[in-house]
Amino acid sequence: MPLLLTWSLDAAGREAAHRHIETCPECHEEWLSMKDTWQVLADLPQVDVPPHVRDRFLAAALPQQAVVIPFRRRPAARWLAQAAAVVVLAGGAYFAGQRTAPVRLAPRGAAVTAAQPMMQGQPVYSIAETRVLPAASMSPNIEGRPDIENVQFVDADPRDGQIGVAFDVTQHVTVTGSPADKSVVRLLSYVLQNDPKSSTARSQAIDWVRQTYSEPRYANPEITQALASVLHNEQHEGVRIRAVDTLQKLPPKFTSSGDATREALIDALKNDPNPSVRIKAVEALARMANSGQSLDQAAVDTLRQKAAQGDENLYVRVKAAEALSKIGPR
Amino acid sequence: MKHLSDQELMRIVQAGDHSPASEIYDRYAGRIYNFALRFLRSPEAAEDAMQEVFVKMLKHANQFQGDAKLSTWLFSITANWCRDYLRKSDNKSKEAEDVLVTLPAPAENAPDRNLERRENEIRIQRALQALTAEQREAILLSRYQGLSYAEIAQIAGCSEGAVKTRVFRAMETLKKMLLVDPRGGDQCLNVLP
Repeated sequence: MPLLLTWSLDAAGREAAHRHIETCPECHEEWLSMKDTWQVLADLPQVDVPPHVRDRFLAAALPQQAVVIPFRRRPAARWLAQAAAVVVLAGGAYFAGQRTAPVRLAPRGAAVTAAQPMMQGQPVYSIAETRVLPAASMSPNIEGRPDIENVQFVDADPRDGQIGVAFDVTQHVTVTGSPADKSVVRLLSYVLQNDPKSSTARSQAIDWVRQTYSEPRYANPEITQALASVLHNEQHEGVRIRAVDTLQKLPPKFTSSGDATREALIDALKNDPNPSVRIKAVEALARMANSGQSLDQAAVDTLRQKAAQGDENLYVRVKAAEALSKIGPR
Repeated sequence: MKHLSDQELMRIVQAGDHSPASEIYDRYAGRIYNFALRFLRSPEAAEDAMQEVFVKMLKHANQFQGDAKLSTWLFSITANWCRDYLRKSDNKSKEAEDVLVTLPAPAENAPDRNLERRENEIRIQRALQALTAEQREAILLSRYQGLSYAEIAQIAGCSEGAVKTRVFRAMETLKKMLLVDPRGGDQCLNVLP
């Protein structure tokens, strides 16, 4: 049957198949149902490719052209793992940023920034975009085969003979700890808001945070704020929807968390350009009300406005009205 | 470049000139995106697939055989990427959520018609979800991309017979899920070619 549907039989094969179908009631019924099913499948529409996908590809394909990638609301950020490192051998001279010419070494110990010797008992590692290390503080062993790029050299300083080697290195860092550890929370918050690699990676990060932080004991306002920021700034509507889902599933242990969630949802309902996100926000607000969390007057007013807004998407209006009916009269 | 054939465009790329990239993208982006979107059920993943596929097309242009169809080659790259993605993705419930995310918002005019259309889309997407990845791949390439079983076999890395079986089983499942009153039919059908 599928061969018939897809015109994959030659003329003789089609003729033979149809002759059989005409004489076999069961196959006749089957053929009609197959044709019906094939026809129903046509109702799945073609979806337009978002324009930014083209821009993103051309930026990679034709880097010499000034193709602008429209990260609409997303602030520019650099991926954490692409941490730039600067090593100054045996000196402590400081240099940073883009340079095209050798940089003179500064006096010893003048401006070591991100790798100050740690006091005993204090954290010994910090994630930084730029780091200056005196050679004495660096192990002479290079572990594995790190990918070192953008190497630059600093000539010897005539005063003390110190030289410098600067480079970018991609490191794979694993930070372990309790979900409640401040360092872990801060790191996840940063990743949620700043990992620009791909929308898939951001979605996976959000899903993981939802699984990990849905336990009441790990409720953390910083995570809530990070998700609210994603909801406000993220370009991709699928990621924003995930942010809404996660926000409503995080336990509102702290009042500030509940407030931040509510405010983020109201903001999305009012301002998000995508109706699917607004529907999710409305549903989340309704669930908050049903679960006994307070909805302030501003939230109720927003729901009323959306339910009555003539030019709002029909689904958003229906969902807003449903949410209001669950909340009850005020 | 619009007057050049796929093969001519690829010859330019193979010579190290990427200037046909936008033309090739414009010819195939819609088909590749919709295939990846329906296969993966995630718009974000489909966008990533697009980036990977078209960049790979440029990077590995020399692997393209001049007498092959560019569409088949691109769908092969896409299907490989999608299968890898699905292998890595073990959260089925997460995938299910993506279906609703994928749906385009209805237009404001003719809301009843849009509601009906949207319901149909949801029904079809749910039915497609019920298929195995192999069946879904086969039905998407066959029904929505119009590829022959030989081309699908090449893309899926299996025999044409396997493709036929996948499409047949997919259609059986879809029929049960999509038709309100599915008609009968039985093993007698197996006698058909």
